[in-house]
Amino acid sequence: MALLEVENLHISVASNGKLLPVVQGISFTVDEGETLGIVGESGCGKSLTSLAIMGLLEGTTVRITGGSIRFAGRELLTLSPKDRRAIMGDQMAMIFQEPMTSLNPVYRVGDQIAEVLLQHRDMTKAQARTRAIELLELVRIPDPEQRVDSFPHLLSGGQRQRVMIAMALACDPKILIADEPTTALDVTVQKEVLDLMRDLQTRMGTAIVLISHDLGVISQTCDKVSVMYRGRIVESAKTIDLFSDMRHPYALGLLNSIPVVDHDVEWLEAIPGRVPLIDEEVSGCAFHPRCARAIERCKIELPADDVVGVDHSVACHLALGIAQ
Amino acid sequence: MKIIASFQSVFRGRIMAKLGAFWLLLIAFAALAAPLIAPFDPLEIDPVMRLSEPGLPYLMGTDHFGRDTFSRAIYGARMTVFIGLGSVLVALLAGGTIGMISAYFTRVGNVLMRGVDVLMAFPALLMALVLMTLLERSLMNTVIVIGIVYATTTARILFGMTLKLKGEVFVDAAICSGAGHGSVLFKHILPNLVSPLLVQASFIFAFAQLQAAALDFLGLGLPPEIPSWGNMLSEERIYVTRAPWLLLYPGILIILSVFSMNLVGDAMRDSIDPRFKDDIAGV
Repeated sequence: MALLEVENLHISVASNGKLLPVVQGISFTVDEGETLGIVGESGCGKSLTSLAIMGLLEGTTVRITGGSIRFAGRELLTLSPKDRRAIMGDQMAMIFQEPMTSLNPVYRVGDQIAEVLLQHRDMTKAQARTRAIELLELVRIPDPEQRVDSFPHLLSGGQRQRVMIAMALACDPKILIADEPTTALDVTVQKEVLDLMRDLQTRMGTAIVLISHDLGVISQTCDKVSVMYRGRIVESAKTIDLFSDMRHPYALGLLNSIPVVDHDVEWLEAIPGRVPLIDEEVSGCAFHPRCARAIERCKIELPADDVVGVDHSVACHLALGIAQ
Repeated sequence: MKIIASFQSVFRGRIMAKLGAFWLLLIAFAALAAPLIAPFDPLEIDPVMRLSEPGLPYLMGTDHFGRDTFSRAIYGARMTVFIGLGSVLVALLAGGTIGMISAYFTRVGNVLMRGVDVLMAFPALLMALVLMTLLERSLMNTVIVIGIVYATTTARILFGMTLKLKGEVFVDAAICSGAGHGSVLFKHILPNLVSPLLVQASFIFAFAQLQAAALDFLGLGLPPEIPSWGNMLSEERIYVTRAPWLLLYPGILIILSVFSMNLVGDAMRDSIDPRFKDDIAGV
């Protein structure tokens, strides 16, 4: 049994009395200690998926309209708020894109880490503080003894993201959802934070769902990858297989639009057009208006997942014909 | 240390705010030590000395019952402080709770905030008058009524600020670490509201003075036997031509106290809101 199983998840946004589908039946699993990357451009539904897993859609205009999310065999979507709170922060944790705003400005960072511990572990305040210092050291914050009493505004973006990681890992969770954890950081800091996450993962055995729009980040970090386009997973495979045998035209487009330092090219290839708005209906394959290889069938029929290799599936009518 | 630092940031370079704070401290001292400072019993009637001019021994003269105006003014400071603090407490507790809960639980909030809107449609003084006519004249009722009147604006302000804070990532992060509704509201959102609450409190304190004086003047505030600045104005207004100082002194006291509170409130607001920083040149 996989640690996290998302099955046929549908998410819709309520707008003017209508439900507009945003995530349309995505499925994936994450095993213990595994890293899954979810990649796609803005608005493809990847962040909503992570919010759905963490139960953060409650009280918004976004609704989960179908499917199931199971964690260690337990259905999360029907879990009582109390049971959910017991899991959150303890066995599941999340880190966010904006390190600048994800810490509460009025609390010292040590207290924020300690709070998670006090919530889930039978600890005294002094023990929680000691543990908070250990955690700050673990995430390589210099002078943890001093920094534990700092307010968030005194820390840099990279340091704040480290504190967030320390907070998320405080109770040694089984799974960590990381929604664009490095997007707001400088490239050098980005690398440090990714290295840190990878290092902690091998040490603690935490499974990670890494959500990013950056194929480079994904390729360095993940065991397997799912590429999303407009609410659907269009290609998923082990990272090695994906980058050696990418099939879906959208995924290929993403790959070709990455600048490569040692290649001297005049123009980067861009994917033409834009993602259709959520209230625009697109028949057949959602990518066909932007796809250079689209054939008549793509406009009519939604492609099913074709298995093209071990754990490698592609939702494209031409998948079997496309090879890199 | 933190408190000293924030005091410095409020008062540094703001001479008017310092003067205001000084005056308020003086009022607070008078209120606390009234029995020690007041030379006479504020209720003691001396018909022989009625309407005497300011001088010795009656520093501010006497009223039409021959009561010492100076002593009454000092005891009146007690009412000022009590009504100010009481109304602030009622307004912040009631308004703050309604505002925060409405913003956090949107469904309940839709109902609650519409109620607040209805109350806000009445002018503050009118609403206070209506409520006071329904209730007995007493110190407690005055405090509660003025508190309720200003609870509406407090609820509005806190509603907006809570709504904004609710969308902050650190709130999501708290929920993700297993915090329940109570913990999110009181541990994560409320501490971020302390500064705006303090500013709001200072303005309520000032407006409550005016409101209380107006109610007293109209004969609907404190019972007439209680010496308050508003009551003094109300009772002596018919002697304005014979003994104008009887109106001058309480009037000046009310003006100075409200003005001082506003100065301090402005300084507090400016120090937490960088847009109002007057030390940024040219903006």
